[in-house]
Amino acid sequence: MYPSDVKYTKNHEYLKPLGDGTALVGITHYAQEALGDVVFVDMPETGAAFGAGDEFGTVESVKTVSEIFIPSACEVLETNQELEAHPEYVNEDPYGKGWMLKVKLTGDMNPELLDAAAYEALVSAESH
Amino acid sequence: MSELKKTPLFDWHKANGANIVEFGDYLMPVWYGSARNEHLAVVCQAGLFDTSHMATIRVFGKDAYEVLQWCFTRNLDACVGKDAAPLTDGKCVYGVFLDEHGMAIDDSLVYKLADGEYMVEVNASMGGAVARHLAEQGKGRDITVVDLTDKLGKIDIQGPASIRTMAKVLKNPEAVFDKLPYFSAKGHFDPASPLAAQVQLLDGTPVLLSRSGYTGEVGFELFCERDRTVSVWETIMAAGAEFGLIPCGLAARDSLRAGAVLPLSHQDIGHWLYINHPWPFALSFQPSGKGFTKAFLGSKALEEATGAAHTLTFVGQDLRKVDAHAAKVFLDGQEIGTVLTCVTDMAIGRHEGRIYSIASPDKPEGLAIKGLSCGFIKVAGPLAPGTTVELRDGKRAIPVTIATDVRPDRSARKALKSFM
Repeated sequence: MYPSDVKYTKNHEYLKPLGDGTALVGITHYAQEALGDVVFVDMPETGAAFGAGDEFGTVESVKTVSEIFIPSACEVLETNQELEAHPEYVNEDPYGKGWMLKVKLTGDMNPELLDAAAYEALVSAESH
Repeated sequence: MSELKKTPLFDWHKANGANIVEFGDYLMPVWYGSARNEHLAVVCQAGLFDTSHMATIRVFGKDAYEVLQWCFTRNLDACVGKDAAPLTDGKCVYGVFLDEHGMAIDDSLVYKLADGEYMVEVNASMGGAVARHLAEQGKGRDITVVDLTDKLGKIDIQGPASIRTMAKVLKNPEAVFDKLPYFSAKGHFDPASPLAAQVQLLDGTPVLLSRSGYTGEVGFELFCERDRTVSVWETIMAAGAEFGLIPCGLAARDSLRAGAVLPLSHQDIGHWLYINHPWPFALSFQPSGKGFTKAFLGSKALEEATGAAHTLTFVGQDLRKVDAHAAKVFLDGQEIGTVLTCVTDMAIGRHEGRIYSIASPDKPEGLAIKGLSCGFIKVAGPLAPGTTVELRDGKRAIPVTIATDVRPDRSARKALKSFM
């Protein structure tokens, strides 16, 4: 549910470093479960630059429309075009087929990102 | 705050993966696996809903008819079918209880079970309030009002496979389905009632079976004794599995009813004048549309109303929605009202200016149906169908079209025989 090669935000996004200065960004297992069926993901243009915590889009589920935020400063290299036809990938495989952005990290890694253990502790506290 | 209530099926919901939310005073399933799949199942196969949180009120006595006729917006002498026949034994009718100011207390199905014997079905947590209201209005008359809140189980089975599913679990399905038009009922949940022999499950459980529901699709609402609820639910689930029957939560119920242009009480109707809305059939208007066929509590206020807001149905261009609580309605850049409901009917899509349902027989081949947002707005004045307005919630603005209907080709009114 919370892979160890991924870093997490308190807002339930993740950043998965790919080892070459790039990373994948998406929402966590906890987030997709809380949202329910994802039906639409509104994403930024390729080339857009963001700082940590900037809003980069919205994810719409049967329940609500939620803003999603950038985990660490980056530039967007690619957005997951598959999600247009298959938004359910975000539910089915949030860290795999359900990725949203491929980014180039710019500047230092956001020091507030959580590791898997810390994030799991956070979500277990939220869901009591 | 008092502890939240649970229906008899709460443990079943938990054990079967339901996502539980607070709804009124109750803890209810909002979805099990996927609200989208649940919505689609009801349109294409069938879904089972726990509606035991709704409240049933028994109203009986020599003057029960007169008190209901005074309190209810429908004319009980002229409300059944196209010919406006009287409400007779075994028939039910949708309408609203208003206060003296013409504002909605709650909407309801009123069942006539026998002369002087009625059943009134209202929304969750409204049993007490409506029962007190009826008792107050019937003061000094021969009428007894008994609030059966939390005394019964209620299960809705909705969707085209409902009929084949129920045919497997009923003792005498042919007799039960015979002459059972939309908005009629047979049987009784009370084993002591003379009606109880009419509808029984194979194990002998008596149920009141009503051909009605809150999805726009064909199906039934079943009332049973509270301690029978889990067994009735499990029997129906097992029988329907081969037809694709799945349990459904409140999210699917909400999106299905919006696509069927049905209001949610206290959200789409409520503490404002109950007039100028998409449900004029619920008011007993004269055929001319001017004035009512009877006087009833609140009718004077409605007749004298000036400047009342208009409630209108809308459909979006795609599946994107806005947050109804935050959204406002704009026409040509001017704010004109508020959004009451905005959800996505996942079973419909647009093609060349027309809306198709996934169940439409003439749906173009290969048409990908992704859903359309829909719901109700409350605005200052009337708007013609086809008018485009914009809904803005601060995050996004979506254009939507004023409409008279949303999901086409709904099954609710089709002959039961066509589903066997």
